[in-house]
Amino acid sequence: MEYNGGAVVAMVGKNCVAIACDKRLGVQAMTISTEFKKTFQVTPKTYIGLPGLATDVQTLAEKFRFKVNMYKLKEEREIEPRTLAHLVSSTLYERRWGPWFVEPVVAGLDKENRPFICSTDLIGCINFAKDFVVSGTTSNQLYGMCESLWEPDLEPEDLFETISQALMNAVDRDCLSGWGAEVTIITPDKIITRTLKSRQD
Amino acid sequence: MSRRYDARTTIFSPEGRLYQVEYAMEAISHASTALGILAKDGLVIAAEKKVASKLLDETKGGEKIYIINDNMICGVAGITSDANILINYVQTAAQQYLYTYNEDMPCEQLVQKLCDLKQGYTQYGGLRPFGVSFVYGGWDEHHGFQLYHSDPSGNYSGWKATCIGANTASAQGILRQEYKEEGVTLQEAKNLAIKVLSKTMDTTSLGSDKIEFATLELVDGKVVRRIFNQSEIEALLKENNLLTKTEEAK
Repeated sequence: MEYNGGAVVAMVGKNCVAIACDKRLGVQAMTISTEFKKTFQVTPKTYIGLPGLATDVQTLAEKFRFKVNMYKLKEEREIEPRTLAHLVSSTLYERRWGPWFVEPVVAGLDKENRPFICSTDLIGCINFAKDFVVSGTTSNQLYGMCESLWEPDLEPEDLFETISQALMNAVDRDCLSGWGAEVTIITPDKIITRTLKSRQD
Repeated sequence: MSRRYDARTTIFSPEGRLYQVEYAMEAISHASTALGILAKDGLVIAAEKKVASKLLDETKGGEKIYIINDNMICGVAGITSDANILINYVQTAAQQYLYTYNEDMPCEQLVQKLCDLKQGYTQYGGLRPFGVSFVYGGWDEHHGFQLYHSDPSGNYSGWKATCIGANTASAQGILRQEYKEEGVTLQEAKNLAIKVLSKTMDTTSLGSDKIEFATLELVDGKVVRRIFNQSEIEALLKENNLLTKTEEAK
């Protein structure tokens, strides 16, 4: 899990959610890309963050696209975030004895536009959180930053500031993460994605 | 003479025919019509629904026209339960291709995949063939808009306009006469489709609740699929002066 590096965090706000990730891809100490984003849009109102072993990040992103497309064709509706969380969990547990080296984060709004976030471990144990979830090599630092900066019912602009500060300062204490960040705010009417410039080291 | 050779799919008759396959096609000729028309800037697939009873609770959208992936739709004629199996197979195949190559599956390859499956049931296994014909409409970046037709034998071909199900002889005749050699616009294709449907439908009253209609076109370089709802179909019928008195009175 500490071969490529990476960080993902998601937070709940007032009628919105935010998900953010760093953009570094490395091979242990050597950085080889600064455009490796770890968040992926799954439906118009749901995102999934996949930090961990980069090859598994890519493969799982593609696997989930497959499964979500089939879901949409059969159910004739978009998948809800809570359901996606269970889909992620079952997909990971299928490989209980030879797991995917990722620890996903799901963030989105359900059909009533209520915020939803959760994270899972590499074998699919879901952590349903009400406030924030963290994942990746920077998880300990992110726990500290989120615990101190987060407060309930933040408006989208304030949530953006909070999640950005949490991510930026946490990755500065982790040599395997950083090199830029991407923050996505999901609200009932629109999704705004912003790229942050950070310390390039 | 034919009696002896029709029980098994996997043997030829002395005249070199596969009776089970022909009987499957016979089943399809009793099913309601579905047709497809290729235009310069898009395509149309239209179908007649089996008689709708007011007792029917219509939860699932449509029994004749199905979505395969973002770039392809298809119309079905024949045994609906057989069609469901094949549709599921082709939807999964399209996603499998996307997963492997990170690109949408090209239309012809998708048709071939399904046809290869259908062919298998005419050569080995001892199982009967699928009693379904398809008319597929799709777009890919190498060949643009395409229309294909496949039948229970696993044969397929590309068309500019084609139809499957009942009354295909008369429908195909009208299409041959009316389809312009140099190509039609999407609007002309829509009008032609609804006109041909109205001529081949058995029932005397043409209602928007008996028709399924879908189009594919390019908008800003992206494929846009439109499955018409009842009011849109009614508007199309009205434009072509095909609404019967009872509809107009509503």
